Amino acid sequence: MSLLSGFAITIDDGEIRRHLRQLGEPVTLFGEGPADRRIRLKDLLAIHGNDVIDRKKEDDREVAKQEKDQSETTWYHEGPESLKIARLWLAYYSLPRAKQRLSDFKVEMETPESTRTAKRQEMVKHMRNMNIMCSQVGDGRPISFCQFSPSGNLLATASWSGLCKLWNVPECTLFHSLRGHKCSVGAIVFHPQATISLEPSELNMASCSMDGAVKLWNLESEEPIADMEGHAPHRVSKVEFHPSGRFLATCVFDHSWRLWDLEQGVEVLHQEGHSKPVYNIAFHCDGSVAVTGGMDSFGRVWDLRTGRCIMFMEGHLKGILGIDISPNAYHIVTGSEDNTCKIWDLRKRSCIYTVPAHTNLVSSVKFEKSSGQYIVSSSYDGTAKIWASNTWQPLKTLSGHDGKVMAVDVSPDGSFIATASYDRTYKLWSPE
Amino acid sequence: MATTSIKRLKEEDPMDGAEREAKKLKSRFHDDSGEDGKTNLDNSEQLSSSQIREMMLNAQKMIEERKRSLNQPPALLKTAPVLSSLPTPAVPKAPAPSSMDERARKIAELQAQIQSKLATSTLATLNLNLPKTVSVPGSTNEVSSEPKPGPLILNADGRTVDATGKEIALTQYTPTLKANIRAKKREVLKTHMGKGSHQQNEEAGSLTESRFFDPRVAAKSALRTRRTFHFHEQGKFQQVASRMRMKAQLDKLQSEISQIARKTGINSVTALALVAPRIGDRKEEEEIDLEWWDSVILQTRSYEGEDGQPNLRQETITNLIEHPIQMRAPTDPLSLPYLPVFLTQKERKKLRRTTRRENWKEKQENIRLGLEPPPQAKVRISNLMRVLGNEAIQDPTKIEAHVREQMAKRLQNHQEANASRKLTAEQRREKKEKKLQEDTSTTGVHVSIYRVKDLSNLSKKFKIETNAKQLYMTGCAVIFKDVNVIIVEGGPKQQKKYKRLMLNRIRWEEDLVKISKHDTGSSQPETRNSCQLVWEGTTKQRNFGDLIFKLCPSEVVAREHFRKHGVEHYWDLAYSSAVLEETEEK
Repeated sequence: MSLLSGFAITIDDGEIRRHLRQLGEPVTLFGEGPADRRIRLKDLLAIHGNDVIDRKKEDDREVAKQEKDQSETTWYHEGPESLKIARLWLAYYSLPRAKQRLSDFKVEMETPESTRTAKRQEMVKHMRNMNIMCSQVGDGRPISFCQFSPSGNLLATASWSGLCKLWNVPECTLFHSLRGHKCSVGAIVFHPQATISLEPSELNMASCSMDGAVKLWNLESEEPIADMEGHAPHRVSKVEFHPSGRFLATCVFDHSWRLWDLEQGVEVLHQEGHSKPVYNIAFHCDGSVAVTGGMDSFGRVWDLRTGRCIMFMEGHLKGILGIDISPNAYHIVTGSEDNTCKIWDLRKRSCIYTVPAHTNLVSSVKFEKSSGQYIVSSSYDGTAKIWASNTWQPLKTLSGHDGKVMAVDVSPDGSFIATASYDRTYKLWSPE
Repeated sequence: MATTSIKRLKEEDPMDGAEREAKKLKSRFHDDSGEDGKTNLDNSEQLSSSQIREMMLNAQKMIEERKRSLNQPPALLKTAPVLSSLPTPAVPKAPAPSSMDERARKIAELQAQIQSKLATSTLATLNLNLPKTVSVPGSTNEVSSEPKPGPLILNADGRTVDATGKEIALTQYTPTLKANIRAKKREVLKTHMGKGSHQQNEEAGSLTESRFFDPRVAAKSALRTRRTFHFHEQGKFQQVASRMRMKAQLDKLQSEISQIARKTGINSVTALALVAPRIGDRKEEEEIDLEWWDSVILQTRSYEGEDGQPNLRQETITNLIEHPIQMRAPTDPLSLPYLPVFLTQKERKKLRRTTRRENWKEKQENIRLGLEPPPQAKVRISNLMRVLGNEAIQDPTKIEAHVREQMAKRLQNHQEANASRKLTAEQRREKKEKKLQEDTSTTGVHVSIYRVKDLSNLSKKFKIETNAKQLYMTGCAVIFKDVNVIIVEGGPKQQKKYKRLMLNRIRWEEDLVKISKHDTGSSQPETRNSCQLVWEGTTKQRNFGDLIFKLCPSEVVAREHFRKHGVEHYWDLAYSSAVLEETEEK
């Protein structure tokens, strides 16, 4: 009566079941209804004591704490043999390229300062005259991604309807459409040699979607030529080709990113390290290093040959949504949900500048591909902005979209900028 | 006892030698004349008459000598003015002739004597830094070297006596020159002060002047401070001059650039170029031979070995997969937030009904058990007759009064309960404050940057400052030509209110501003004032304290001010966007 009146049991059936499970008792007996179950729980609590559930909770908590303690140190585990093969290949690929790049840089430095500054001034003037050239309705649903082909005459767009389309660049006419995804597509990327040296029947593109499906395409058929399984049910937000074209990286929402070897046909690396989903990945031009950004606001730089995390980029307040590495090999730019972009120096291993870029989150950032002289950033405030890469100051604001700008890309020769937006259109910008 | 007698025998006065002797003889005869210290001599210490005679002879000789020495020097001075420099112990040697030799010897002798005399003289004891014109009777007019205080010896009479035993009259030197008088006064005062402070502490209630002197008050001294030399470091003015020259050169260069720019018309580029060098130290891109992330897997410090193949360290490449420590995201809450439980109206009513019923049931139990007295009947005018029927008939007035009293009491209880639950003025204020304040430590600080063309209107400035203070926002405002930057930090609700203030409530367009351009100097036609939101976003922590206005004479100063708070990029953005806007207008 009054003894039991101060002690209340929940009426919620779900909770009663949970409590019974916690106590280790059968959840439902034959023919038992919710009321009977409640009475049974009450009896059990009366026998074992009212706080038995709390005690069990504490035990669980301790177990969880022990697990957490284990994750306080860096630990390693052995991967497949194919990983070693892949890493060796990557080392032999990247070292000569690094050497070549550094000697090219030295040669470039020999040109007099005045020519270099003149070039930069030219570029600035060029950028200041950027204006909208053409706008095209991409799809019936918002367009989430756009990318130029390596030759610069095709543009691939991915939309929330599951449809990916290829467009001819200056004319903005449909070239090809790709059907196969069942839900919204996160990204569609070109192979580094697509439209340049690859046959149209070979693997030219890869795309990823929200249900975890990663599909490979060629330029001829409208159906995918291959499906990569292993990600479902987690969302895959981005795919990216390695500069060599042999490897494909995918960013998965199970807090990891994976590296697939297309020659061996297996997943060689399943890399964890972020405490929240990995959103974006970018490869270094040498092919030696990859940088990932996650929703935990941290960026990590991974050496692909040793597998170590060589730099930890801490500074953003909210998740990193856009990430890119400059062709000069040591500047990294990250765009985040906290409306800023940060510039990091890989050689100094620190953040060198913060660009208060937009008044809403920054959805994507890209370096200019040939020499990295400027950055383009797109944001949910409906604008894209161009920033000079020596002083990090704004050069031009590209406004014209009605809705949020979801992605931006620069053409390889620098003549066009493409933006894809929530208002179902994509726009091309070029200097007048 | 014995010593004093010996001392007395040794006493000598060059003047009163004879007198002294007479005195001594007298004392010998009057042994017990009651003088202090004169006691019976021991046999051993009794001086024989021969000894006494000897001593007397010595004394006489000394007297003679002294007389001679005192008579001679004035004559000598007329001939040898060199003697005036007494400090030189070296005697100035005169060339050969014998008479000169003698003279030289005598000079030297005299010098020594004079020195010794002056050393023991009374003036030395006084230790005055006087210009050395001593008028001691009989002594020389030379300047003494360093008047060291000699030992002050007193004889039995209490008269000052010099080293030889001769009595000296302590001469008080009274200076005649005004400066010297003042100097003497200063000395006296100093010693007085020194003495006075000691004495005051010891003697209670002494009537010295220092009792009325308050050392805490810094009073202006009656004397003027001495003007001394201010020495400058070597090269200081050269540095200042070179700095000024550099600044002048820079200014000239800048004006040249802007002139050229105007001529050729590449406005935007040069404007940006002007902005660029001010963005701190941009080092030229360095040429390096080896990237550090490659050096980890290489054997030597070069990409290729001797055979032209990349020299890889095979052991660095393994198939190990690293699992780095997972760091907690900054916006992750430390403890899981519990969702508040929302009940429907029916549920709420049922809950209240059941709890009240339970309480009432318990109370009823207690009453039945007898632990609590049963409650008084609630009597109202309407049920008065029913409840208190009999008593009411007997004395209606009293009963009615009783009932009314009960009613009044009930009403008062109710009102008191209400009043006690009501918030005091302070509590109300606190509640309002709490509503306005927002916790920015866990979820990040929201920052907004506004740029205003002209901030000279005082009422608008007041509004900016006061609103920031009332909303508990931090930030800073910089006033500079036509780029006035206002940065505010706070929570999202505060930012919303402030945004409405800046962009809607304050009518910037009312003001007409005359903006003078940097390079031309002539003022442009009047334009309307405007305010733009340059950026809003979030950062990890607050960089500023309370909002204060800062006037900056140049861009460099403004940038430096922001750099001190770690946010120079805010200024860069505001300034460059202003510059770009300007060029676009043209």
